[in-house]
Amino acid sequence: MKYIPKKIPEGINVTSRHPLLNFAYLLGTVVAVSIFIFVVLGFVAEWLVIRVSPETETQIGDMLVQPALDKEITDDKRIQYIEELLNSLLIPGETTRLPLQVHLINNDVINAAITVGGHVLVHTALLETVKSENELALVLGHELGHFQAHDPLKSLGRSLVFLTVSSILGVGMSQSGGLPKIIPLTSELTNLNYSRIQERAADIYGFNRVVKHYGHGGHSLDFFERLAKGESKLQKVSQYFLTHPLSQDRINDLNAEAAKQGWKMEEEVTPLPQWLHCSNMKPCEQAE
Amino acid sequence: MDALVQILFFVVLLILGYFWGRYFEKRHYKSILRREKKTLNIPIVNFGAKQSLIDVQEAALFAGSVVISIDYFKMISAAFRNLVGGRVTVYESLLDRGRREALLRMKEDAIKWGANQILNVRLETATIGGSSGNNSGPGSIEVIAYGTGVK
Ligand SMILES: [Zn+2]
Repeated sequence: MKYIPKKIPEGINVTSRHPLLNFAYLLGTVVAVSIFIFVVLGFVAEWLVIRVSPETETQIGDMLVQPALDKEITDDKRIQYIEELLNSLLIPGETTRLPLQVHLINNDVINAAITVGGHVLVHTALLETVKSENELALVLGHELGHFQAHDPLKSLGRSLVFLTVSSILGVGMSQSGGLPKIIPLTSELTNLNYSRIQERAADIYGFNRVVKHYGHGGHSLDFFERLAKGESKLQKVSQYFLTHPLSQDRINDLNAEAAKQGWKMEEEVTPLPQWLHCSNMKPCEQAE
Repeated sequence: MDALVQILFFVVLLILGYFWGRYFEKRHYKSILRREKKTLNIPIVNFGAKQSLIDVQEAALFAGSVVISIDYFKMISAAFRNLVGGRVTVYESLLDRGRREALLRMKEDAIKWGANQILNVRLETATIGGSSGNNSGPGSIEVIAYGTGVK
């Protein structure tokens, strides 16, 4: 028998699908499914997390707040002052689910935050920048609003979901690795990311409490107006803008709210105690 | 900022991987097709265990092996495929090239020796690096073809 060579047929073992089309399909599917899972689980997490008992919240909060406290100033009369101001903002009959603990942090970034477990973090730079008690009260009232709305817990719940989803993705991907770790995952847990809606609600809450406390809303917006105009040194407030993107819009919103509710905006200013920028409120040289 | 740099790096690698990978694959297929045509006149034949062999004067073992690396684009496509499931089409051309190249190397070696037939050819594959072990870099495949050349 004689061997007659035949032409070898081509393309039997290779699917002719274009690799880019294939890639687009895969990327689209993975992204769509991840977003769906993320959204659904995010709502589930929020729903679950506000049912956490106060004891558990205290435990979680104590654990998470530790890293933020390495420059904490203790035994300072200013802490007591802030605590009293904060608690005076609660309207009669209103309680917090946990006692609020004020921590004064030696930090030159203007910032204030409330974390899971009712830890209120106040940076010294904030005390150096505010010019009246009304201004400080609005900042504290805003943070209080976050706490009453369970915002820090919700943010934590969402972060946990985020970690879970991305680690599942990571496991699925690990066989070939190489995918970038786009998000520094561990720090994600302690970051407080609030939505626009949550910020707005906290604004309204804080403003409402300030008006109830002083009988008017005058001067409370001055601090935010100064920040929005960028009158302070920009680098130092940048952090505050990151966690609290305060735009002129939000100030306008609050002014509109005041007009709607018939709140007085032109009243006397309540001064801050003297030497608030100094340790223990004892006279000192202004640190510049 | 850091995240942005990482994403950018990722995208650049992906694009580079795609274009380099495509270029080399096209070039390789061209070479494969040309050499397959040239070596088509030497048949590759399989004999069963109880079949009597043909009369030959001389016989020798020939082996051809090749290692081909996957590119970044293929690797990421396959990683996504791991999550979705289904046929990993991006790897098909890789293995196809590997098998054919290994066969060709064996055949060319046998032809140089003077073979007029090659008997009982076997193929084997192995993976190198990459997914084997904890090394998360791109892996490679090795394909070995071996058979008995006779004249
Ligand atoms: Zn806020």
